Amino acid sequence: MKPFRFRATVNGRPVDLPVDPRRRLLDVLREDLGLTGTKEGCGEGECGACTVLLDGRPVNACLVLAPEAAGCDITTIEGVAVEGRLHPIQEAFLEAGAVQCGYCTPGMILAAKALLDKDPRPTDQAIKTAVSGNLCRCTGYVKIVKAVRLAAARLAREEGAV
Amino acid sequence: MLPPFDYHRPASLAEALFLLASLPGTKKILAGGTDLVPALRRGDLSPDHVVSLSQLAGMREIKEDKGFIRIGALVTFSRLAEFPLFLKGPYKLLAEAALQVGGPQVRNQGTIGGNIVNASPAGDLLPPLTALEARVRVCRQGGERVLPLAGFLTGPGRTCIHPEEILAEVDFPALPERAAGSFVKLGRRNSLAISRISLAAIVIRGEGGIVEEARLALGAVAPVPIRARKAEALLRGRKPSPALLEEAVAAISETVADSLGDRPSAPYKRAAVRGVAREALIKADPRFASGGC
Amino acid sequence: MTGQADGKMPAVSSVIGRSCPRVDGADKVTGSALFAADRRMEGMLYARVLRSTVPHAVLRRIDAEAARAVPGVAAVYTAADIPGENRVGIIVKDEPVLVDDRIRRVGDPLALVVAGNEQALAAAMSEIEVFYEELPAVFSPEEAMAGGAPAIHGQGNIQSVTRIVRGDVDSALKEARAVISRRYTTQMVEHAYLEPEAGLAAVVDGLVTIWVSTQNPHYDRREVARVLGIGQNRVRVVQSPTGGGFGGKLDISVQCLLGLAAWKTGRPVRMVYSREESMAASPKRHPCVIDYTSACDGDGRLLAVKVKIVGDTGAYASYGPATLKRAAVHATGPYEVPNVFIESYCVYTNNPTAGAMRGFGVPQVAFAHESQMDLLAGALGLDPFTIRLRNCFRPGGVTATGQRLLHSVGIKETIDRARAKAEELGMLEGKR
Repeated sequence: MKPFRFRATVNGRPVDLPVDPRRRLLDVLREDLGLTGTKEGCGEGECGACTVLLDGRPVNACLVLAPEAAGCDITTIEGVAVEGRLHPIQEAFLEAGAVQCGYCTPGMILAAKALLDKDPRPTDQAIKTAVSGNLCRCTGYVKIVKAVRLAAARLAREEGAV
Repeated sequence: MLPPFDYHRPASLAEALFLLASLPGTKKILAGGTDLVPALRRGDLSPDHVVSLSQLAGMREIKEDKGFIRIGALVTFSRLAEFPLFLKGPYKLLAEAALQVGGPQVRNQGTIGGNIVNASPAGDLLPPLTALEARVRVCRQGGERVLPLAGFLTGPGRTCIHPEEILAEVDFPALPERAAGSFVKLGRRNSLAISRISLAAIVIRGEGGIVEEARLALGAVAPVPIRARKAEALLRGRKPSPALLEEAVAAISETVADSLGDRPSAPYKRAAVRGVAREALIKADPRFASGGC
Repeated sequence: MTGQADGKMPAVSSVIGRSCPRVDGADKVTGSALFAADRRMEGMLYARVLRSTVPHAVLRRIDAEAARAVPGVAAVYTAADIPGENRVGIIVKDEPVLVDDRIRRVGDPLALVVAGNEQALAAAMSEIEVFYEELPAVFSPEEAMAGGAPAIHGQGNIQSVTRIVRGDVDSALKEARAVISRRYTTQMVEHAYLEPEAGLAAVVDGLVTIWVSTQNPHYDRREVARVLGIGQNRVRVVQSPTGGGFGGKLDISVQCLLGLAAWKTGRPVRMVYSREESMAASPKRHPCVIDYTSACDGDGRLLAVKVKIVGDTGAYASYGPATLKRAAVHATGPYEVPNVFIESYCVYTNNPTAGAMRGFGVPQVAFAHESQMDLLAGALGLDPFTIRLRNCFRPGGVTATGQRLLHSVGIKETIDRARAKAEELGMLEGKR
């Protein structure tokens, strides 16, 4: 099969590489680009561990054929912290104890980021809906919801301070 | 890495139809990919060609046009759930059903066209589209056909689409302002759940507060969505009240019982549909709970 | 509470009673934590194992010649290639790394393929031919315990029995005012940790080094050494960040296969289960059938408890003997019972192996003993809190196994506070 020229923006940087079009976005991110923060949990869109943002919207990278994401702005967990400084959502996850085994964490954080980017003051119900495509087997979700709430409050304060 | 296939990325619908007509071997159309990609990975499907519709921007539109609402086949569940026209009033059932599909990630990728063509008995958009009396526009090279959704769906996972055809659009007649719609789904959990039962309800109010027309479509109780005709007939011309609600609920439960026969799920679904039906009818017309006008 | 100033503990702890950041937290929120499947090494090979599709069979022969000839395939190993002992298991060494004589469940590992890329791996897997003779299989402990059942491990299928006897149950039953007998059945449960099993092995400075998703690195090390027939001093197991385990990663998964592949090829080898493989291959929570009889006097005081627990441990023992022992030890729950007769059986079947999972046999019996308490309360017209408070352990109490509880016992306080909270939330309204 003829390689497909995969051009996209990944974490703010342009990417241009040949890929076999039968590979999933998940495989290209993890294997070709070394962005292993995106995890594979189920391979069929049930668990959300492979969540990345495609033009700002969360998708399961295991369900996207790589060429389908060409031309998109892709954000993975590696693109969330800026210049080594943790994003307020990442800080909040640490502080609220929302991280246990850590395997769902990258996907959770990206799902939360997609929410807060468009709805800075979400209700608890909106938070639960936003992470409803992400399974966590350790925490019971309570601390994850708390972390997103905490992050929203922090971001609102930062906004206010600017 | 998925099993071998050739990937095609046509730039227009015409090119896509040409490819489907001319490529040798087996073909699958890739829209959102939420069903196709895992099926390829598992080896359930092994087509020679995969034809991606990703470049066909024209199939991502929603339009109101000459008394019809037209929805491009590539419109995602998220888009349906956010589209202003579907946020209130009679079409709300469509947004409500779209929000019941998978989780946010799947809703951002999955499409209305895929939901119809994959024809799962539990497909969440199918009951609302059945209640809306939707039609599908199916294109092939050099022609197209428009047919009612009810005739297009032929069984679980089956439709009458041909391998060289593409489902391009879904449409349905606009409803009057006095219509209201609702969708209620019973799943094993709140998200990422397959429907056990669902009901899409449309109630059109007539003169003097009577039900001019009721359309009730049940999901996951038959190979394809079915209309609860007995209950629809019973509601016509009468004023909503808690007593009428119970009559309708009993009739809907009978329809479910008739449809399921002695299947193992029948006792459960016969009983559970009552709760689903009550909730859906009350959401469509609160007078079913309170009486009054 | 702060520590005593006697030099043994600091007066003010830097950690106890405070929220501390996780040591691995920052790596996990930035995605830089390297889970086993995230690791790669120069010249790395990929491995996958062919698994049985039948539950019970005599393995006759594996023909891997065509698979070995697939371009890109480095090796295909079968049981004959294992240099050391081909049996592992935390309590009983009854599970083959690669099947040598008999298939005992769907998902038993038959042949290990090692290749330079995933495509060659997939191609080789479909080229392996397995010849076997199917045997009758048993799928419930009841069948497995019956006379004439196919013996899964050569002798009877009862792997172990635990008995706890205290006092005289039969006389106590005669004196009882209320006697409740019920059968409880609990289902098999998959842990479904979010990270499927994965590992990477390489020979580093003469040491077989395995980075692996595990809960049990020391045990892994011993098993890998035994299977390879080398000293433990030549095996190093490094626990990778582990994406959930819940008991399901206490057993051997990829460790021995990876050790074998790296040892034999001399190259780094990585192996990652798919979710499907994880579900097919990993141990489960024991499904149990519990026959439970409880008896009490007119005040609701427990006089006797008689319990028979049968746990389905599947094809291999795993943690089954200990799980069923724990189920027996906890069968009376947090209640003092003067007369006790408890029997628990750990039974082999051709089902998926059951092993350790959160609670280790206790959730199964808890379902039974708490249901029994509610039924007894109902029979005597007592409040469900009252009957529990009348029977629950207190300091100085004695358990079914004869242990005297000399220190803190929290059950009474727990019940009191749960009740207060339930009242506060209005959860008891309309209930007696």
